[in-house]
Amino acid sequence: MEYKWANQWANKPANRLTVYIVDDDAAVRDALGLLLSVRGYRTAVFANGEGFLNAWQSDWVGCLIIDIRMPGMDGLTLQKRLVELNCHLPVIIITGHGDAGLARQAFKASAIDFLEKPLDDEKLIDAIVEAFRREETALNEMQRGERLLQVLKELTPREREVMDLVVTGKHNREIAPALGISVRTVEVHKANLMAKLGISSVPDLVRISMLYRQD
Amino acid sequence: MRRLQIRWLPDLSFVAVFLLFDWVSYVDALYGLNITPWNPDPALGLAYWMRYGKRAALPWFIANMLAEILVRDLLAGWLMTAAAAALVTLGYGLIGEVLRHRFRDGNTFGNRTTLFAWLSIVVIGSVLNSLAYISLLYGASLIPQGQWGVAFFRFSIGDIVGIVGSMPLLWMLLSEHGRTRLQAIMLRWETAGYMALAILMLGVVFGHVANVELMHFYFLFLPIVWAATRQGLYGAGLIAFVLQFGIIVVVKWLPIANIPAVELQMLGAVLALVGFFIGVVVDEQRQAAEDLKLTLRLAAAGEMASALAHELNQPITALVAYGKACKELLERGEAGEVLTGAIQKMILESERASDVVRRLRDFFRSGAMRLEVVEVGVIVSAIVEQFATKCREHGVELKIATVPAVSLRADRLQLELVLRNLFANALDEVVKRPPESRLITLSAEKLSGERLRITVEDSGLGISSNAVAHLFEPFVSTKSSGLGLGLVLSRAIVEAHGGSLWAEAGSHGIFRLILPSVDWGEKVGI
Repeated sequence: MEYKWANQWANKPANRLTVYIVDDDAAVRDALGLLLSVRGYRTAVFANGEGFLNAWQSDWVGCLIIDIRMPGMDGLTLQKRLVELNCHLPVIIITGHGDAGLARQAFKASAIDFLEKPLDDEKLIDAIVEAFRREETALNEMQRGERLLQVLKELTPREREVMDLVVTGKHNREIAPALGISVRTVEVHKANLMAKLGISSVPDLVRISMLYRQD
Repeated sequence: MRRLQIRWLPDLSFVAVFLLFDWVSYVDALYGLNITPWNPDPALGLAYWMRYGKRAALPWFIANMLAEILVRDLLAGWLMTAAAAALVTLGYGLIGEVLRHRFRDGNTFGNRTTLFAWLSIVVIGSVLNSLAYISLLYGASLIPQGQWGVAFFRFSIGDIVGIVGSMPLLWMLLSEHGRTRLQAIMLRWETAGYMALAILMLGVVFGHVANVELMHFYFLFLPIVWAATRQGLYGAGLIAFVLQFGIIVVVKWLPIANIPAVELQMLGAVLALVGFFIGVVVDEQRQAAEDLKLTLRLAAAGEMASALAHELNQPITALVAYGKACKELLERGEAGEVLTGAIQKMILESERASDVVRRLRDFFRSGAMRLEVVEVGVIVSAIVEQFATKCREHGVELKIATVPAVSLRADRLQLELVLRNLFANALDEVVKRPPESRLITLSAEKLSGERLRITVEDSGLGISSNAVAHLFEPFVSTKSSGLGLGLVLSRAIVEAHGGSLWAEAGSHGIFRLILPSVDWGEKVGI
């Protein structure tokens, strides 16, 4: 991985989002790297697909700009390999000649956009913004999930028992005798655990328990 | 006055030529009526009608009347003649309208389908027209009792033969384009050749009139076939008319008592039809060849454009990005090293783009081959230079065997294009292999008979014998981009140089090309 242009212009809130550029043409990747750095993006450039795959770490976030026509591994193959590796970085494909078939393939592999060279920088920036938006949504989702998981772990054993019974559809009146406690106490536990999880309804609780069931 | 003249000139000429035709073809007439074995007047009328439409009706009617008056001394009386002339004009006018409708695009004799359609319309139309005309004359007792069938047969055959034999030529004569083409054909020596042959053959066939049984009629096919195969429909139209005319002359001036004129005219019609069909097929085939050539040329241009687009795209993409970055930097008032560096790179990229354009211009300039004596070594090193960086980048070993000191008489740029193409293919193949087995070899050796063989080998997976057979066909490509014309063009270029280019099946890629070399002792153009 080569960080050619120092990220000295970063005027965006500091974050880890990076634009990874894979293009076999030295001038193109250098120029794109410069332009995006100037616009405040963190960038990293790679001369080919193999180079990117070798360097890739699972905690990388941001998006990928891939040239479709490269000697060795071409852009679409790289896209496929990434999916296989469970790398979910959003991909923007760039190409020297617009080919409907290739574009279709790229979109099938869920590319964000398919841009023709010479690149319209507005479109490129739009695509990157869109890619970052998706990436951030995914990250937020993940963070939320992690947080919920944490909360679930921190529930008291009693709260946990109450929750397990609530989500099976049992009423407080049924839960109380099952756990040998009063209905009033069940109500308190339920209110506490819902407050901890930051939810207000039983259906939400069911959803969370389905998503993060720990067997 | 002058405008009037010009407006009526075609009509007047039409009437004059019509009368001439009628007079010439008024031979062997039945009952002194215009029932002759060869009746070219309707051909003229139909060609005229196709050109001018309904406007042709009046001159045609007048010409019909005049012909009856001048050529046949108004045999049937005023009223009857007028009625017959009107009927014939109406009948042929209808055929003319059908033809005009069917051949709106003017492509009457363009291909076999239209030729056949024309023939069908003419035959069916003439038969119906004859039916009406002969019935009218029969009803007026101008045709003897019981002779209706004979008269009908003679009249319809005469019209069909006349139209078939003459109409194509008249049709050609009535358009500017047709006249130009016909004129170009007439000015060729070959035309004089087959005309002479036609006259000779007429002599052979009708020479010894005494024992003629039309035994040698098939000799008349020779000039027809000659004209049609060489000059297409126009040649056929010309010779068919000449032969028909020749036969008329024979019939009118040579006493061939034992051959019915109608039979001779049928012969003329068959000759003409054979000629037209051969001619149309020849024209069609020529057109197809032209179309294919154009397609290939377009495809070649497309291939070039695609390669060019890719070559230009990279520097332009870089230029735009650098430019935007510089603008942004300037707006922020930054003028440091980064800006200078980016501008420096913009200059480099501009030069790269100019280089692409320059190379393209060179190629198109040399669209026509510009032969010069070049040393093989020069061409080879130019290619090696172009590919060295790429090969290094992909870890490909480039091995150039010793090239003999031989010169070629060749278009340097075109030959470079061929080698570049072979190298690019080889490179595409070897990069599919693991890095340690990426090798491209070029070797050249002198063969006997002042020939040079250049071989480009790559360590790719080679070409199967099945694929070798199709490799040089257009639009066969193993690559996702390009039309697969690279090899087609390359072979065309090599063959234009008097050489050959082929691939060999094997476990690795082998392309060989043989080019005629210039003997080193010979000093040409230096």
